[in-house]
Amino acid sequence: MSTPLLEAVDEAAALEQLHALGCTDGLPVVVPTPARVARMVLASGLDADIELGTMGPGHGVATVEKVACAAVMAGCLPDHMPAVVAAVRAVCDPVFDLTEMQATTHCIAPMVVVCGAARGAGGFASGFGLMGPGHRANVCTGRALRLAMMNIGAARPGESDMAIHGSPAKLSFCFAEDEENSPFAPLATTFGYAPGQGAVFVLGVEGPHSVLFSGDADASASATALLDLIAGVIANRGSNNSYLGGHAAVAVVLNPEHAALLARHGFDREHIQAELAARAVTPRAELARLNGKMLTGDGDPVPAVRDASNVHVLVAGAPGLYSMVMPSWCAGPHGNRAVHAPVALDQACELPLHG
Amino acid sequence: MRDGIALARAGRPAVALVTSKFRPQGEFVARAEGMPGVPQVILPHPVAGIGMPAMAELAASITDELVARLRGERP
Repeated sequence: MSTPLLEAVDEAAALEQLHALGCTDGLPVVVPTPARVARMVLASGLDADIELGTMGPGHGVATVEKVACAAVMAGCLPDHMPAVVAAVRAVCDPVFDLTEMQATTHCIAPMVVVCGAARGAGGFASGFGLMGPGHRANVCTGRALRLAMMNIGAARPGESDMAIHGSPAKLSFCFAEDEENSPFAPLATTFGYAPGQGAVFVLGVEGPHSVLFSGDADASASATALLDLIAGVIANRGSNNSYLGGHAAVAVVLNPEHAALLARHGFDREHIQAELAARAVTPRAELARLNGKMLTGDGDPVPAVRDASNVHVLVAGAPGLYSMVMPSWCAGPHGNRAVHAPVALDQACELPLHG
Repeated sequence: MRDGIALARAGRPAVALVTSKFRPQGEFVARAEGMPGVPQVILPHPVAGIGMPAMAELAASITDELVARLRGERP
């Protein structure tokens, strides 16, 4: 191991030392012993010193070894490591504005969506309760990214992470797309991946906002009503998107039942994106009355998302009454855009049985 | 803070204005960006939304210190 080692008399003392150093997210972690980290590095199939990117605001270099350390601490299995590596690569894309995102007073958190073959390989959940709790791959992979952001990127609450309230989503926010029950093409194909190819999609967002809807599958008016409801949550009066939006991305996670209703009435993904962008608008006078100092740009009504391709639509969750909308932050030099990275599934070295 | 450091790196006199609540973050960023000694003037918190009269009073109260730091007359 190339990084300096901490020493402790036993696991319990090591854990308390990690808490005291501010290296945890507040929950207990698996102590990252050299053997455990080495095993996780092997699971990546990459050399320990390969640099995946630089993580702000501390500008720490995310080597595979350091990321493996975060994965161990988060409780990941070796099978999760390829997705963790991909998620770190994705957030290190300059377009993600990680430095600014980590430092802001907003509650933005990275939402990781695991796509294609990476879902089965890591055991990621896409159905009931996929956003947590209870699904190890989802929770631990999202947590590993957060621990990397804290310990490599040096984001610490009140010092370098200035989120006024923070968010439960900042602990972990990761799930898989339900490609099998989606009437639409896999999300990753919209970013140029082949169908089934392993990839992660990451967008900085608020935690999920639910949309309650029960319609009539035979009525086209139900489809448009659902679109209006979702658009209303995207452009809710308190969200950044209503005032600062336009160039930022948002995410919409349709449950399979809502997705089927829309598909039945002729809405494909592009059509849904266009309809949501057109409907997620607010009269300028209303925003000016409520929060005029925060209102930017021109136009009336004011769109929450100017470019329909920035409404990222996917299917996940169990069938039922609820879909989810993730509004966003809308700031940073690149304006809060989505990023992605391939998940390398054929690189893992043979792992020792113990360690 | 980053703006101040960017200006200083460009060879321009620069002072970072930081409110008291954000002083730890300002110092973190100054260290992370490799310029821990960048001149700072600490303001009371908050500044945003305090209204024009209070803002004018605040500006007047820091003008001498700001100018002195821009001239390099104070560390």
